[in-house]
Amino acid sequence: MIRLNLVLLLAVVASALYLVHTQYESRLLYTALDRAAAQARQLETEHQRLQVEKRAQATPLRVEQLARDRLKMRAATPAISQYVTDGAATGAANGGAQ
Amino acid sequence: MSRSVVYTASPLLASKTPVWRSKFIVAAIALGFVALALRAAYVQVFDNAFFQRQGEVRFARTLELPANRGRLLDRNGFILASSVPAASIWAIPEDVDQDKPEVRAKLKELARLMDMPLAELLKKLADEDKTFVWIKRQLDWDVGQKIAALDIKGIYQRKEYKRQYPEGEAAAHVVGFTNVEDHGQEGMELAFDKALAGKPGSRRVIKDRLGRVVEGVGTDVPPVDGKDMQLSIDSKVQFFAYQKLRDQVIANKAKAGSVVVLDAHTGEVLALANYPSYNQNNREHLSGEQLRNRAITDTFEPGSTMKPITIGTALELGRVKHDTVIDTTPGKYSLGGFTISDTHNYGALTVDGVIQKSSNIGALKVAQRMSPQEMWNVHTALGYGQRPQIAFPGAASGRLRPWKTWKPIEQATIAYGYGLSASLFQMARSYTVFSNDGKVIPATMLKAAEAPVGTQIFSARTAELVRHMLWLAAGPGGTGQKAQTVGYSVGGKSGTARKQSGKGYAAGKYRAWFTGMAPIDQPRIIVAVMIDEPSAGSYYGGTVAGPVFSEVVQQTLRLMGVPPDMAVKPQIVANPVEEPL
Repeated sequence: MIRLNLVLLLAVVASALYLVHTQYESRLLYTALDRAAAQARQLETEHQRLQVEKRAQATPLRVEQLARDRLKMRAATPAISQYVTDGAATGAANGGAQ
Repeated sequence: MSRSVVYTASPLLASKTPVWRSKFIVAAIALGFVALALRAAYVQVFDNAFFQRQGEVRFARTLELPANRGRLLDRNGFILASSVPAASIWAIPEDVDQDKPEVRAKLKELARLMDMPLAELLKKLADEDKTFVWIKRQLDWDVGQKIAALDIKGIYQRKEYKRQYPEGEAAAHVVGFTNVEDHGQEGMELAFDKALAGKPGSRRVIKDRLGRVVEGVGTDVPPVDGKDMQLSIDSKVQFFAYQKLRDQVIANKAKAGSVVVLDAHTGEVLALANYPSYNQNNREHLSGEQLRNRAITDTFEPGSTMKPITIGTALELGRVKHDTVIDTTPGKYSLGGFTISDTHNYGALTVDGVIQKSSNIGALKVAQRMSPQEMWNVHTALGYGQRPQIAFPGAASGRLRPWKTWKPIEQATIAYGYGLSASLFQMARSYTVFSNDGKVIPATMLKAAEAPVGTQIFSARTAELVRHMLWLAAGPGGTGQKAQTVGYSVGGKSGTARKQSGKGYAAGKYRAWFTGMAPIDQPRIIVAVMIDEPSAGSYYGGTVAGPVFSEVVQQTLRLMGVPPDMAVKPQIVANPVEEPL
C-alpha cells in the first residue's frame, strides 16, 4: 500500500514539475510569437510606406517632366506612330498610319 | 536556608486536568481548519470569478490593435491614397530643462527637424503647468526617428497614421482627404469612409513587471483592415486632363474650370478634375475656391450644349427629320416680350445645320413642335433635375421645373439650354445616350466589373443621327472646330452661356462649355469641359473649351490604345533611304 502511494506521489510531483516547465515554455513561445507578429506588422507598414514612395516617384507628372527635360522625348501622336495589325502582316509594311 | 524543588512532584502536575480543556483546544483547532476550508472554498469556488478578475486587473492589459485604413487605387491598381506611419511629437513641458545649454542646442535641432521656428517651439513649452502638449502631429516617420535619436528628456512621440496622396493636386477633388483623426472629409475618402475605415481589434494579455507580454488571456478580437477601393479613375488620364485644363484656365485668365471624362459604354468616370485645385499633402491656407468640386457641386445653365438633346427628342418623336428645313431668318425671334437672336442670320437651315451652326432660333422652332411634357420626360430620364446616382458627397441635382409651369418662352429657352441648370457631370452623363445607341447609363466612380444596364431613351438610329450632327458641329463650318484631333474623329457641341448675377445676366461674363465624344462612329469616351469666365479675349465654348477637349481626347484615346480612325499624314518614314553623299 505504502509503495503504491509512494509511486503515485512521485508521479504527481513529476507531473507538477512538468506542468511548470510547460507553462514556462509556452510563455517563452508566446513572447516569441508576439515579437514576430509585431515585426510582421512593422514590415507590413514599411512595405506600404515604400509602395507609396515608389508611386510618388512614378507619378505621371514626374514621368512627363523627366521624359521631356532629361530624355528629350515628346508625346506620341498618330502622325508619328506606325500602327501594325496583329497576326497577318496586312499592310503593316506600307508605313504610316492606317 | 534552602529548599529544594522537586519538579516531579509539582502540584500542578498532580492536579487533575479536566478533560474538557483538551477537548476544547482540539475543537478550537478543528474550527480553525473548518474556517480555513470554508474560506478556501469561498475563494476557490463561490466567489472565484471576483478574485480571478481582481488578479487579472493587476496584471492583464487590453492592447488595442489598430486597423489599417484601406487604400484608394486607380483602375490600374496605382495608389491614389494610402496610410503611412507618422510620428506625432508631444511633450511634458515641466520635464524639459530649457536652461541647460546642451538641451537648448538639442531643442534648436528639434525645431529645425520639425521645420518650425525655435520661438514657436519654446512658446509651446512655456506653460510648465501643463502635463501634455502636442508639439507637432503627423511628421514623417524618418523625421520622427531622428527626433527620437536626439533623446531629449520630456519630449516624446506617438505613432499615428497619416494619408499620403501621391497624385497630389491633379486628383485632389476626386480622392479628397482625411482629417488628423483619420476620418474622411472630402471626395472618395468621405464617400467610402465606412468601407475604408476598418474596425480596430483588441487583445487581452498579461504583462510582467517590465511590461513585456507574457501570456494571452481570453479570446483575441483580430482587427479588420479597411477594404481597398478601386476607383474607376485612370491616374494618367486624370493627370493629363488636369494639366490641360490648368494650362487653358491660366492662358485664358479664367476664374475656374472643370473637366469630366467618362467611359462611353460603362459609365465609369475616367477622370474628373477642377482648377483651382490643392495639394492634399499640405493643406494649410486652403480656400473654398480651391476645395470646391465644381464639376459635381456647381450647376449652371448649360447653353447650347443642350441643343443636341432637344433635337434628339424631336427626331425620336418623328417631329423632324435630320434634313427637315427650318427657317431661321431674320436671325431674331420675338416671343412673350423677349427677343431671341442668333449671332448671324443663318437663313434656312436643315436640322443638321441647326446643330452645326448652333442656331438658337432653329432649336426653339424645333422645340415648338413638341409639348412641354414630351421634352420634360426626356430631360428627366437623362438625369436633369435629378440627383446623380453617384457616390460623391454633395452632388448637385440642378434645376428643371415641372413641365406644367412651363410658359412658351421657357420651353423655347430650355430648347437651347437656358432656364434649367445642370452640373458638368450631369451634362457628360446625359451624353451617354448618344454614345451608347440611345441608352443612357448610370455613371460610377468604382471600377465596374460588368457593363451596366442602361435605359433606352432614343432609338439607335436617332443616336446615330445626333452623333453625325455632333461630328458636323466639330468639323469645318461648325462652332467647335478647335476640338479636332489628329487621327481621331470627334463630335461635340460647344456652349457659351452668359452668367447669371442676381436677377439678370451679367455683362461680359460667360461660361464656355464643350461636350463631345470620340471616335464618333464607335465612341469610347465622353469628354465634357467647362471654363468659367474666360477673360483674355475669346469666351466662346468652341475656342476656349474646345482645345481642352481636343487635347484630352487625343491623350486619353492614345492611353487606351485606341487606333486612330482617320487618315493621318504620316511624319515618319518606315524604311529610310540613305541619302547619297
